[in-house]
Amino acid sequence: MFVLSFLLRRLAQGVLIILLVIFIIFTLLRVVPGDPARLIVGGMAPDAVVAEKAQELGLDRPIPVQFAAYLRDLVTGDFGRSFVRPKSGASFGGSAFDDQTRQERASVLDLILDTLPMTLQLAGVAIAMALAVALPLGTLGGLHPGRWPDKLALVIGSVFVSTPNFWLGIILTLFLSVKLKLLPAIGYRGFSYTLLPAIVLAVELVPFILRTLTVSVAQVMREDFIRLAPVRGLSRARTVLVHALGNSAVPLVNLLGVQLGMLLGGVVIVEFIFDYPGLGLLTINAVLQRDFPLIQGIAVFIAVMFVLINILVDLIAMSIDPRLEY
Amino acid sequence: MAETGAAAAVRPAPRGATPSRRMLRLAVSRADFRIGLAGFLLLVAIALLLPLVSPINPTKIAYQVKLLPPFPAEGWQWPHVLGTDQLGRDVFMRCLVGLRYSLLIGITTVLLMFVVGSALGLYAGFRGGWADAVIMRLTDAQLSIPMIILAITILGVSRPTVPAIILVLGLSGWPLYARVVRAVALGERTRGYVLGERVLGASDWRIMLLFVAPAILPPIAFVAVLDVARMMIYEAILGFLGLGVQPPTPTFGNVIADARKYLLNAWWIATMPGLFLLVTLTCLNLMGSALERARNAVLQGEA
Repeated sequence: MFVLSFLLRRLAQGVLIILLVIFIIFTLLRVVPGDPARLIVGGMAPDAVVAEKAQELGLDRPIPVQFAAYLRDLVTGDFGRSFVRPKSGASFGGSAFDDQTRQERASVLDLILDTLPMTLQLAGVAIAMALAVALPLGTLGGLHPGRWPDKLALVIGSVFVSTPNFWLGIILTLFLSVKLKLLPAIGYRGFSYTLLPAIVLAVELVPFILRTLTVSVAQVMREDFIRLAPVRGLSRARTVLVHALGNSAVPLVNLLGVQLGMLLGGVVIVEFIFDYPGLGLLTINAVLQRDFPLIQGIAVFIAVMFVLINILVDLIAMSIDPRLEY
Repeated sequence: MAETGAAAAVRPAPRGATPSRRMLRLAVSRADFRIGLAGFLLLVAIALLLPLVSPINPTKIAYQVKLLPPFPAEGWQWPHVLGTDQLGRDVFMRCLVGLRYSLLIGITTVLLMFVVGSALGLYAGFRGGWADAVIMRLTDAQLSIPMIILAITILGVSRPTVPAIILVLGLSGWPLYARVVRAVALGERTRGYVLGERVLGASDWRIMLLFVAPAILPPIAFVAVLDVARMMIYEAILGFLGLGVQPPTPTFGNVIADARKYLLNAWWIATMPGLFLLVTLTCLNLMGSALERARNAVLQGEA
């Protein structure tokens, strides 16, 4: 019963958050200068053609009307169609206004769902890499506060968090890809193309995991149930691996929920540098082309993910530590 | 943390020292804080003073010295310690100018988001009720829009001037402060000093601004050092995307973006500014994490 009321309350809040996000993005896009109709038909097109295009896209209506229409479509699961992308893929923004080769415009939902697996693959590999480094180091650091593992964790965390991701991407491309020819860098033609972007993303993640883990492990180790573990005849290894790490997982899982926005920001930059065909690259191109329906669709999609992941995170945290209440 | 904890146990905290005083003292006693502070102050001093006295102009084109490698590679020339770029401009001097802009934007942005975030968080936490619910849902909404999307949406079309960049970055950063300050303010509502003031007839505003804010904000402000570093990275990212301060003014972002073309035959033009930024930010982050650890220790009553 408790879980049910929790879910209902959080879902209601989630709907509110998503509405706010739509409102913010929708208004922002239309208030900030830059006319998509003009961008699509090209700078040379006569004003009448621009007006016609604006009418076709529905941009000539007052903003509140556009907003209401968008919400109405959204409720039925219709995210709309991209302003500039045809079904076949490549965008045709900025081409001549009388170009006859234009095809039907692509559905926003299809565009998102097509690129999402690529981004999930990238994020998954990056998180796995980050955990492989940060989990052992962070645990050791938490077990020996002030000693060398702790100091090493501090230094690695400080250096990694200070590394600009775009710069690291360029440098790694130069050394690992161009000079040593170990890994491919640009585009995507197979799984190995995920590795280099994932390394850059992992470097961005490691400091956050390290910081959370060292603090929470150190804290758990001071708790009575850990101090009393030897009395119960538990080995040191079992105490640390099962009891201490299990309890330290709560802040770690929470971190994922809070830092999701940051992770996505990193994904956008990394995909842009490596020309990796995921959601991040789609986003940056959509913004640069002022593809309103696509930007709105991605924002709604991310907000929904944000809400769902945060609910999931709280549920996981509750099942790990039943004392928690939300 | 053990050594500082032990040191603090030996030397009992003086009576009457405020938590933020104890926090600062604990941080200063750590080696990593001192290393970070010294390195940072040195770099800032060089960035502020050297361009004033040096005859080298960071934007002046000089083809006769173009593409000089950095010290100690063969063919380097004094005074171009970090080499020169494809137009013969001194890489070190361009890093220094970049650092000036980076610091200006980083520090002002954090001030902005600290002031806005704390004000809203304080109000939400102290007042509770509707104001609290509205402000908290706003932070949720803001947090679920990645900063980079907001930034390219706004800066992609309006001219990316320094105030515009500060505003956009500050907009994306305020929710975290609002949340932290709210959480602390919430707990502060029932404390004795607040109730006391209330009995004396002080208004909510008076209590919030004169008593609660000075009590809870300083520790949060110290840890904001970490955010200065984060905002400096974001400034570089925006510059890299062409949405930062525009050339010919050199910033870390636009210099590295420009140098990408010359990476194969002149690796230093892109590498050096990145390293320079990395070293500066590492100093800042060492200071910040030492302050953060000191805060945690003070909160847990170890010091």
